[in-house]
Amino acid sequence: MNDQSMVVNDNKGFWKKNSHNVPGRPSPKKSVFSSSSQSNANSSFQAYQASISDAWVIDDDEFCSPNVNISKKVAQSAALNVINNHKTKQFETSSSSRNSKVNESESSKIAKFNALLNLNLLNLEELRSLAWSGIPNQVRPDAWRLLAGYLPTSSERRQQVLERKRTEYWVFVKQYYDTDRDETYQDIYRQIHIDIPRMSPLMMLFQQKLVQEMFERILFIWAIRHPASGYVQGINDLVTPFFVVFLQEFLPVGTDLEQLDLSTLPKEQRDIIEADSFCCLSKFLDGIQDNYIFAQLGIQQKVNQLKDLIQRIDTNLHNHLLKHGVDYLQFSFRWMNNLLTREVPLRCSIRLWDTYLAESDDFAAFQLYVCAAFLLHWRQKLLRERDFQGLMLMLQNLPTSNWSDHDIGVLVAEAYRLKVAFADAPNHLSGSKTKR
Amino acid sequence: MGTREDEYDYLFKVVLIGDSGVGKSNLLSRFTRNEFNLESKSTIGVEFATRSIQVDQKTIKAQIWDTAGQERYRAITSAYYRGAVGALLVYDIAKHLTYENVERWLRELRDHADQNIVIMLVGNKSDLRHLRAVPADEAKTFAERNNLSFIETSALDSTNVETAFQNILTEIYRIVSMKQVPESPDYEGDVRPIRVEPTTSTSSFPSETAHDNLANVKKLCCNS
Repeated sequence: MNDQSMVVNDNKGFWKKNSHNVPGRPSPKKSVFSSSSQSNANSSFQAYQASISDAWVIDDDEFCSPNVNISKKVAQSAALNVINNHKTKQFETSSSSRNSKVNESESSKIAKFNALLNLNLLNLEELRSLAWSGIPNQVRPDAWRLLAGYLPTSSERRQQVLERKRTEYWVFVKQYYDTDRDETYQDIYRQIHIDIPRMSPLMMLFQQKLVQEMFERILFIWAIRHPASGYVQGINDLVTPFFVVFLQEFLPVGTDLEQLDLSTLPKEQRDIIEADSFCCLSKFLDGIQDNYIFAQLGIQQKVNQLKDLIQRIDTNLHNHLLKHGVDYLQFSFRWMNNLLTREVPLRCSIRLWDTYLAESDDFAAFQLYVCAAFLLHWRQKLLRERDFQGLMLMLQNLPTSNWSDHDIGVLVAEAYRLKVAFADAPNHLSGSKTKR
Repeated sequence: MGTREDEYDYLFKVVLIGDSGVGKSNLLSRFTRNEFNLESKSTIGVEFATRSIQVDQKTIKAQIWDTAGQERYRAITSAYYRGAVGALLVYDIAKHLTYENVERWLRELRDHADQNIVIMLVGNKSDLRHLRAVPADEAKTFAERNNLSFIETSALDSTNVETAFQNILTEIYRIVSMKQVPESPDYEGDVRPIRVEPTTSTSSFPSETAHDNLANVKKLCCNS
């Protein structure tokens, strides 16, 4: 209640300041940028250059294929896309008449994605704003590869980059994993080896040796290539969404993961799943490496920020936690360390990843607001708890087992609202700091 | 400190420490909920659980903090040693390395915990007889030399889990009931009351540990 009135009081300033933004859309900075670049698109070469700059700076590519003439291949692929779009649309609408309305919007979303993904030169900003509110399963793997910056925006170069990156990964494996490891590497390996079997103990898929070995290699190579942090418990959980999404790419729609025997998949496909999971994980973790360095300073800082934020947004809840001796670190450390993967079901983590990946470089900052929104979501229940024990036990085990994509949609929308209201105007609610 | 639904005479904070994968979380779940998971998820940071037991017709409430075993978490977890009156230092009898690291864990406690903390050395997974790598005698001798109590447990088949917690809580209780001067909370000299305030009354933010360089961390006086 407190927070609502605050926001209402400030609505004018809020809307004036961020006139381009609507809650539920990606970060304000980006939208401002894209809208300004749109309006100047015809006049400003700089804006144009900026909008396509990522086509050239992607990674360590030494050469870019000249892309002037429309090749036969491109024309063909464009035609194929159109056909495919129609196909998927038809399939979607004909397959289910019951939820036709839902499916219609879903299929039109898929069509939008396909149209974007198949452009010769992808507009990453557009993809981000489309992906932010959730990506349909069918197009998720490619969308994630692009959002993570693993795939280049130029569609012609994608296959070539994919092949090179995948090969690169297997060279790492050969170099570091398949050889004798020295003592420091051995420690890393030991920790990973302890953690993998107990990662998702209730899912049979993750009990398969083949799957566990894939995770081991991914994590080991990542740790070796990031010596400042190395492997930290919990990073294993961050591989899972990537793994599952890239796995599903090779499975018929609706395959039950619980029943899947991974050895039935051809080795080439398994290798792709593994290499792509590694590459996307690497890009993904780049933005939050300070979470995992010595003393985990990134997390400690964010925990403090969360505390300050809640104090400003919801004094009642903050004081309630304080009064009963609940320290933010005690419950939110895991939220930050594992990006909420331990708090919500896997399917929800995947949906959450859509938004995280769409946030791109800003996702580290955004995650703070997701945590804040998550905490505030439970405020009524928490306020009813009367002691430390009750609060802690609840916070450690929040009832999200029946959460769906919808709940995550609401969560990130709320997080976005908080971010706009608080991050961009750190002092405009300073009045609320005065305690009652 | 107002409302508490369950009444108790003493509240003791106990920490579970030791290497990754030795079974700390399962000892805790066995003791507090009588549950065991063959593959329980790794603990991230710290986790909390509680249970009350009776000693001498007194209700003793144990507030137990389970900590992550990986070294990287040390800065976070050591903050939880503060105010703890007991520690279960756990190793895996089938993994010698986890026993070798016991010394390092003792050092951790010496650096971060109350000097009067009661420490129990716990050799877990005693059901793995055929894989035993640490002789019970050796651990027992080590414990005696370092003034620790010692017990072997199996969270899997429940052996000694109850006893382990019962023993350490009783030991703490004996010390507290002997040393404590209930009427005067102020004390002098080298006798320190070991009883902790109910955790609900202390708002503690870990700051005095390894990360003084952190901005925004409220400085709190240590609890001496």
